[in-house]
Amino acid sequence: MDAETRRRQLVAAINRVAGGDRAALRLVYSETSAKLFGVCLRILGDRSEAEDVLQDVYLTVWRKAASFDEAIASPITWLVAIARNRSIDRLRSGAASRAHAPIEAAAEIPDAGLSALERLEIGEDQARLKDCLQELEERQSAVIRSAFLDGFTYEELAERNRVPLGTMKSWIRRGLLKLRACLER
Amino acid sequence: MSDEDTIGAGDRQDLTAAEYVLGVLAPEERRRAEFRIASEPRFAAEVSYWEARLGPLAERIPAVAPPYTVWDGIEARLSASMQAPSAQGGIWQSLAFWRTFAIASAALATASLAGLVYLAQVPSLGPPLLAQLNAESGQASFVAAVNKGGDSLTIVPAALLTGDQQKAFELWLIPPGDKPHSLGLIDPTKPVRITVPETLLPQVNRDAVLAVSLEPPGGSPTGQPTGPVIANGKLASL
Repeated sequence: MDAETRRRQLVAAINRVAGGDRAALRLVYSETSAKLFGVCLRILGDRSEAEDVLQDVYLTVWRKAASFDEAIASPITWLVAIARNRSIDRLRSGAASRAHAPIEAAAEIPDAGLSALERLEIGEDQARLKDCLQELEERQSAVIRSAFLDGFTYEELAERNRVPLGTMKSWIRRGLLKLRACLER
Repeated sequence: MSDEDTIGAGDRQDLTAAEYVLGVLAPEERRRAEFRIASEPRFAAEVSYWEARLGPLAERIPAVAPPYTVWDGIEARLSASMQAPSAQGGIWQSLAFWRTFAIASAALATASLAGLVYLAQVPSLGPPLLAQLNAESGQASFVAAVNKGGDSLTIVPAALLTGDQQKAFELWLIPPGDKPHSLGLIDPTKPVRITVPETLLPQVNRDAVLAVSLEPPGGSPTGQPTGPVIANGKLASL
């Protein structure tokens, strides 16, 4: 089965979940849970918290499936956004204690082999984002990546990079503006 | 070329949506952004825009197979939320309890805190879900507690609110990343028990936000908050 077929099946499965089909949720889970668990684990840094949040993620998928719009987001983008948001919410609620690798390590994660599904889905967008991030100053792209991947707040990023809060906000905001300009070219 | 050269005055745009997606906002700012997602379609569209643009960064995160117990947990929680929880009597549904609680609370300056301490001493009730709804000033305006069966909650005013006769007070449940769902009108002068609609039962859990907005008499005509939010707070277990 090729990647496009699998992507279409995932879209169809999410649409069936919207109709209350639990078998379809199971299918979405088996296709995507390893990816989303990786996302939760990365942000929360704690296995048992990540397992708990992963349950929340699929319960959120269960009740929000009707709001999934293929025209706005690919299924993986939509699912990853839910996983990141739930993980960040848990982190901010103070329930999770942060057990994180240092920020320097964050930038060093080797590109994991993409699944065929991911490659198809994000191939073009991925390449574009990579190009645009490269146009940013090194420190800008590093903190943007780190914020996204680790769920750090402005304050935490400022602390970890030993710069004032205002400087960190300015790095990221300028980076985001440049990124948007580049992505829209 | 320095950064300063590339950012003109015209570029001072609202980047809140991007900052929300990136996850850098402080908790209160994040909550405000969630509210905007729910109430401003344009802002929600901007969030979707950035989710699609930044989403590919997640490609760098390696997949990790979760233990099979996670799926078991999901199934169990789905089944639990689908059974209409049986209405159980007891202290959580007792208006007398809430009256006593409210009076006791009102007698103390730190009304809600006292309430929390009191609740903590009630034996054998399992950890209740509670929320302290604060005004923007940080002052506690309401305290809400989910009853034991999970299918209703009681909301108690924790401060004397100057009642505007022209306005209705509407209570909203906002699951993380979701839009507000109305739980109905409340009375700012006395404890009110609200039955949670069955469709919303799975959303009544930790991390969901309760908010109170001022609406026209009879409640919001649109199904979404139309007036100012006067208090909000997150549900948490004791």
